[in-house]
Amino acid sequence: MERYPHIFQPGTIGKLVTRNRIKYAATETNFPYGDGYVSDREVAYMEAQAKGGAGIVTTQGAYPDKKGEGKGFKGMMSINDDRFIPGLGRIADVIRANGALSSIQILHCGREGGIELDYCLMPSVVPQKLSYFKPPREITASEIKQAVKDHIDAARRAKQAGFDMIELSGIVGYLISTFISRYTNKRTDEYGGDLRARCRLMVEIIEGVKAEVGQMPVGIRLCGHELLNDRGGNSFEESVESFRIAQEAGADYLSVTIGWHESSQSVITRDVPMGHWLYIAEAVKKAVDVPVMMAFRQFLPHIPEKAIAGGQIDFVEMCRPMIADPEFPNKIRQGREKEIVPCIACNACFSRLYYHQPIMCSVRPNLGHEGEDGWGYYGFKPASKKKRIIIVGGGPAGLQCGEVAARKGHEVTLFEKNDRLGGNVLVASLVDPGAIELMRPIATLEELCRKAGVAIRLGVECDPAMVGREAPDALVVAVGPAMKGLGASTGVLTPQDVMVKDRKIGQRVAIIGGGGVGLGIAVYLLRHGEHEITIIDEAGKPGRDVNPFYFWQYMALMKKKKVNFMKRTRVTAIEDRLVKVLGPSGDIAVEADSIIMSVFYPEEEVWRRMASTAAKEVYFIGDAKKPRRIINAIHDGYRLGMVL
Amino acid sequence: MIPVIDEKECTGCGTCIEICPPGAITLADGKARIAGDLCEECGFCAPECPVEAIRIPFPIKGP
Repeated sequence: MERYPHIFQPGTIGKLVTRNRIKYAATETNFPYGDGYVSDREVAYMEAQAKGGAGIVTTQGAYPDKKGEGKGFKGMMSINDDRFIPGLGRIADVIRANGALSSIQILHCGREGGIELDYCLMPSVVPQKLSYFKPPREITASEIKQAVKDHIDAARRAKQAGFDMIELSGIVGYLISTFISRYTNKRTDEYGGDLRARCRLMVEIIEGVKAEVGQMPVGIRLCGHELLNDRGGNSFEESVESFRIAQEAGADYLSVTIGWHESSQSVITRDVPMGHWLYIAEAVKKAVDVPVMMAFRQFLPHIPEKAIAGGQIDFVEMCRPMIADPEFPNKIRQGREKEIVPCIACNACFSRLYYHQPIMCSVRPNLGHEGEDGWGYYGFKPASKKKRIIIVGGGPAGLQCGEVAARKGHEVTLFEKNDRLGGNVLVASLVDPGAIELMRPIATLEELCRKAGVAIRLGVECDPAMVGREAPDALVVAVGPAMKGLGASTGVLTPQDVMVKDRKIGQRVAIIGGGGVGLGIAVYLLRHGEHEITIIDEAGKPGRDVNPFYFWQYMALMKKKKVNFMKRTRVTAIEDRLVKVLGPSGDIAVEADSIIMSVFYPEEEVWRRMASTAAKEVYFIGDAKKPRRIINAIHDGYRLGMVL
Repeated sequence: MIPVIDEKECTGCGTCIEICPPGAITLADGKARIAGDLCEECGFCAPECPVEAIRIPFPIKGP
């Protein structure tokens, strides 16, 4: 029996029938070339998405205008000229060949556009703070007409390229959304004023595109809630009404999104419970008759299954979960849920876009390498020489390395001294309520390791002598970081002491190190009690290794709880309840009831010294190589596995 | 893409070293140097460089 009967029922968009209710949502990748041409890399990525089993596969947004005012990302693909049609056609072809319907998104980035210009176009000049954005210039009446025409011309090219449907985008600060929002539209002409007037650009584009492409369905993404109440954005009721106006103009499907990039509220981070935003889609669905869809934190299949069954949405859109695992639809249909490589909402993908890098995934290192055999997206070639490999440490680095090595045919034994896998992720997963999701990739890796034949030996403390007796061909040291120097002083607590062993923490706390671990400890403590926290950091800025999506949340909490940051400050000595430091204000002593060390070092003692006597090939990965984050551990493990 | 450092422009000020999430950048002979095996290709360093000596080698020209 089908486990997700509502997800895996056919759906209808216009006159088209989809094989199921999953839509891979439009995702910028920065894989195309800087001049707007589709790359082999983008085609291979889209092919993987189409093979994954979704009913509809949406392309990334393509900018429609010649000047690049609509271009919001360095590697955004273009649909502003007929010369791009053949490349776009390659994407339509790979989607069709794999049984999905294709939707191409036409996207003028508006407030987030003009990436290579010195301005961006907006209905009115409303500046903002994010440094990525260009200074706004008010769009003229003739430029509005041109924007409408650009969308219509783009739609014609989309049809010629062979796509099944077209998607328009009016979300997060892109051109159409800036007209709809009262926050950014202060115009006094016919494109400004009440909601209907602010929707005029959208209506003209939908009607123009529909007239151009005939029977081809045209959908649109709009904001269901801008979350801009603090600066005069649309009311929830206005946003819902904008969907109704889009339907009236002829939209064949409606995709509901939440928040602008400038919203000062969490939307897609782990602190937002899964399925949280469905009530907004439901409000839209009640107001319209065409299919309604939504993405946003529906990472576990029972959530959209229930939402579709309950009539909140007609289709579920997937963006990050399918970046992490394009096979998500196939795996849930085939009962292989435990094998899903799970998105951890770290937003590494998202943040890469704003730094002119291709998207990257913490949990799927082969993202963007789907077309390269060596990266093993479709499986690895067996290694030329089968090796006996010992991996010491069952954290993310060791597990990922073991999984890849075993799939290549090596005989892999993994030792973990604890009775549970996960390494320091076991600790990190306790920082705040959402952090438990960090354990999902550990569970997947465990499943994939077992499936690949990795022998996992839990509760076995493996030392160099033991490795020596086993005499493997290769030894992988993935034991995690080492503590040394002042951190090893008597009475200094570790993150494990605080978060796992529940050691009593005093009122005044000194945390040494203001990186991700130090901030994580502070967040944990502030959630569990009242403390006066001082964070002592040698760097000038804390949290350099924390993703911006989480950093601002953490810092807001620190500010609220009056955490004291001592920047550019070095610890010189630790005594009983006293941390002596040297910083910009000279030699100071910080009094503290509890002193916690968050700075770690590469494994340099036991294994560095002894490893070469234990095995012919020795490798250090993850924190044992250099203490860093989960993305680095998983990527270290994967890359080593590839070459073993 | 691993960023490229223009050694002629780099003043060795250390700004990128402080910003680099995985700590992949060090100073060698007074110039910033990125360790390829540690770089996580986030690109955070490039906009922080005060003399614009760090470039992301984005492929511009399509077929």
